[in-house]
Amino acid sequence: MSMTAPILEVSGLKVEIPVRDTVLRPVRGIDISVAKGETVAIVGESGCGKSLTALAIMGLLPRQARLTSDRIDLNGESLSEASPRRWRKLRGDRIAMIFQDPMTALDPCYRIGDQMAEILKQHRKVSRSAARERSLELLRKVGIPSPEERLNQYPHQLSGGLRQRVMIAMALLCEPELIIADEPTTALDVTIQAQILRLLRDIQRETGIGLILITHDLGVVAGMADRIVVMYGGEVVEAGTCDEVLARPLHPYTEGLMRSIPVPGETRRGETLGFIPGVVPRQTGDLTRCGFLERCPYAHASCAEGSIALRDAGAGHLMRCVLPAAGSGRDPEAWTRHSEASS
Amino acid sequence: MPPVTHAPPLQIAVSPTRVAVGRALRHGSFWVGGLIILVILLAAIFAPWLTPYDPSIQDLGQRFVAPVWAEDGSWAHPLGTDGLGRDYLTRLLFGARISLMIGFLTILISGTIGTAMGVAAGYWGGWVDLVVNFIITIRLTLPVVLVALVVVALIGSSLSLLVMVIGLLLWDRFAIVMRSATQQLASREYITSARTIGSSTTRILIREIMPNIMGPLIVVASIELAHAILLEAALSFLGLGVQPPNVSWGLMVAEAKSQLLFRPWMIAVPGAALVLLIFAINLVGDALRDVTTPEGKA
Amino acid sequence: MSETVLSMRGVTRDYAVGGAFRKKATLRALRGIDLSVDRGRTLGLVGESGCGKSTLARILLGIEDPTSGTVLVSGRPIQDYERLARARLIQPVFQDPYSSLNPRMSVEAIIGAPLKVRGEGTAASRRTRVHEMAGEVGLPRHLVEAYPSQLSGGQRQRVAIARALIGEPEILICDEPTSALDVSVQSQILNLLHRLKQELNLTMILISHNLAVVHHLADEVAVMYLGQIVERGDADAIFERPCHPYSDALLKAVLPPRAGARLPELGLEAEFPSPVNPPSGCAFHPRCPKADALCAEVDPNPAGIDPVFRCHHPNNFGAAAHPAQAAG
Repeated sequence: MSMTAPILEVSGLKVEIPVRDTVLRPVRGIDISVAKGETVAIVGESGCGKSLTALAIMGLLPRQARLTSDRIDLNGESLSEASPRRWRKLRGDRIAMIFQDPMTALDPCYRIGDQMAEILKQHRKVSRSAARERSLELLRKVGIPSPEERLNQYPHQLSGGLRQRVMIAMALLCEPELIIADEPTTALDVTIQAQILRLLRDIQRETGIGLILITHDLGVVAGMADRIVVMYGGEVVEAGTCDEVLARPLHPYTEGLMRSIPVPGETRRGETLGFIPGVVPRQTGDLTRCGFLERCPYAHASCAEGSIALRDAGAGHLMRCVLPAAGSGRDPEAWTRHSEASS
Repeated sequence: MPPVTHAPPLQIAVSPTRVAVGRALRHGSFWVGGLIILVILLAAIFAPWLTPYDPSIQDLGQRFVAPVWAEDGSWAHPLGTDGLGRDYLTRLLFGARISLMIGFLTILISGTIGTAMGVAAGYWGGWVDLVVNFIITIRLTLPVVLVALVVVALIGSSLSLLVMVIGLLLWDRFAIVMRSATQQLASREYITSARTIGSSTTRILIREIMPNIMGPLIVVASIELAHAILLEAALSFLGLGVQPPNVSWGLMVAEAKSQLLFRPWMIAVPGAALVLLIFAINLVGDALRDVTTPEGKA
Repeated sequence: MSETVLSMRGVTRDYAVGGAFRKKATLRALRGIDLSVDRGRTLGLVGESGCGKSTLARILLGIEDPTSGTVLVSGRPIQDYERLARARLIQPVFQDPYSSLNPRMSVEAIIGAPLKVRGEGTAASRRTRVHEMAGEVGLPRHLVEAYPSQLSGGQRQRVAIARALIGEPEILICDEPTSALDVSVQSQILNLLHRLKQELNLTMILISHNLAVVHHLADEVAVMYLGQIVERGDADAIFERPCHPYSDALLKAVLPPRAGARLPELGLEAEFPSPVNPPSGCAFHPRCPKADALCAEVDPNPAGIDPVFRCHHPNNFGAAAHPAQAAG
């Protein structure tokens, strides 16, 4: 863990969306920081608010959403009051985003070369030939064969894996400090996924770019992340170094997630997998109790007495739970009983 | 420590139709347009009871009576009388009957033809699609008003013939929209599932495809209703639509042509009625479009 | 006594591509598939995009016909069964829970449809069956009258499974049944499938790109690449000692959610080939770390007993001669 100033510091990030007769609160106070060269994974399932968090950091929230935060600092510059104009200058230049679906993230009407040149022209004053040179340089860097041909091609002429590499190349064009990758490999085949992830990691090691990796796949996290932030119901429920959280998941949600993933070589074939009964609740109003209460096998009375704060369980491993941090004190049969009760 | 349990939420079955109707009822345009159409509809249905006069009986002693807002007008003839002494308000009410009836009947015909063609083209694709596209293209090259005029001039213009002619000309938008709506559905997995459980093609078309293209169908129907009413008005204006003793708003406008400078209300009244009706239909159509488009978001 | 429920021999499927103005080419989605599944067994079909597994599923479901080869179900060619009889034999569970249910039909109507289509029983008896099935798949009672838009992804998938099984089919084909679901829901559906498999002695074909899912449910595994089966055999054997380099790569590519895990170096070169223009010789040779001149010329024939593989330079060749040891 380097002691250099973080590239990104976010605290108290909240997103509210007014709907017909109430206010949705999909993000309820998130703290994230990313240091130089660090990969922070935001992990969660659908409805946890991770994608909205990413959009909020990029200034890309939908019009009707309201964003509040105590702090959004990019390399010391405060962005919480940034104008749309300032955001437009930053996006693509200092912060870049890689989206999930390579099919729809590239404009099908324009050639690859034109799309890349457009990014450069927006943020740097470069000549056409300089833009072309830089584009070629990056296409080579991301391992695309015959880059000169690719520049003239349209997105539909490239495979999914190549398109994703192009997206990474486009993200790197202006040498950003931070890249936010939202499920960058979910739509790709497994063997391609491994290649793309290696590529991202190699580039990051070489350039010191900070990476926020948003995913639901804990396997991807295990291979890539330095730190993990687990989100549930719009809140951070657990955070810490990747190895620590995976080896000792403290929050019952993280515990439940880990128990439900089959791992060839570890879980026996046909063994009953753990699961988390219930569904994600709709997030309106302020939380006056633990957001995971209905689905938690360890729930008891004190979980409903007021909102639960995030606390340090030792060595920077944060958890939002009233249970004692050390594994002992938890009933090992609790999950089994809980699953049976819900069937 | 006893686990905290919670009861599953009570769930009322909410069909997509209910959701759509609910949304429509909350939509301002729907109310405004719907109310106007309802008023016109009721006036048309109850026309014989709303007026003591007969729309076609002439009373040459009462020609060109002024409407009630003019100096020598009276409530005996609120909208005055026309050149043949017929009460104008009565003619307006009875004209509404014809306009609405022709409108609804023609979209029934054109809707059936167009939907059948569009769904067939969208579902089977291949040469069925080619043939349907060919027919649509030919139909699109025909100038509708001219063709209608020619047909009516050649064969005559009874009401039923008029309905047939317009119905057989205005099906193209139905076909085009239903075709693309069906195409979008044909690849959905619930259609594939219906096939694998052994559903016959008829059953698939009726149970799986039709209910799911109702949204666009209703929207197109509202557009084409307006279209049909205007077409009839245009034909009647040209003298080749509704014939006396029947009355339609288009015919009223035609008969009042010569009075444009002296008694402008005689054109303005049926004209305004047409505008109001078309406006209301468009409002409702807009509302339906908004209601049926954002699918999937509860 | 094991009875062969499904058997495919030499199945190919070609598509003509290219429009009127481009040179016509042939896309060979399936290039000679040999498969058989015994009653009560689960076969896992594994492969990535373009391998042909979806085409295979469509052929089995009767949505498409093979270009050549035979498909026998319970001993008879699949084309001999007419529409309703075929529906009794094979039923699907699809990937996308959001488009596999008709949004305008109630859950009850959806689950009961297979019975209604056959004209089986009365409305009352069908209703009872629907409620029984809903209970079997763990769907809460109050949701039976609801509409799909009111259900979560996991619940919809349960509806799809109930619909597939209510007619008591011989074979269940699951095409990526959990890929669109969250992890914590996926495990519930896997548990459900496993339980049903055992209770009903289901014969199942499980298609998935997720090896962990296949490992969990399948008794046998067939690995597909570019329209061919490159390795086939007992699940435990293939997972522990894959013979084909592609199977090996697929297994290495599975990322375990464990502390200290590293990103694998797969050693695969180049990109996926196109099924319109398959490489000469062995389809995998442009990407294979072990490829040599022979591989570029000659398409390997199936060899070995269990697993059967198509490779000139398989890993673990010696192990293929011995039956797999049961995993712990």
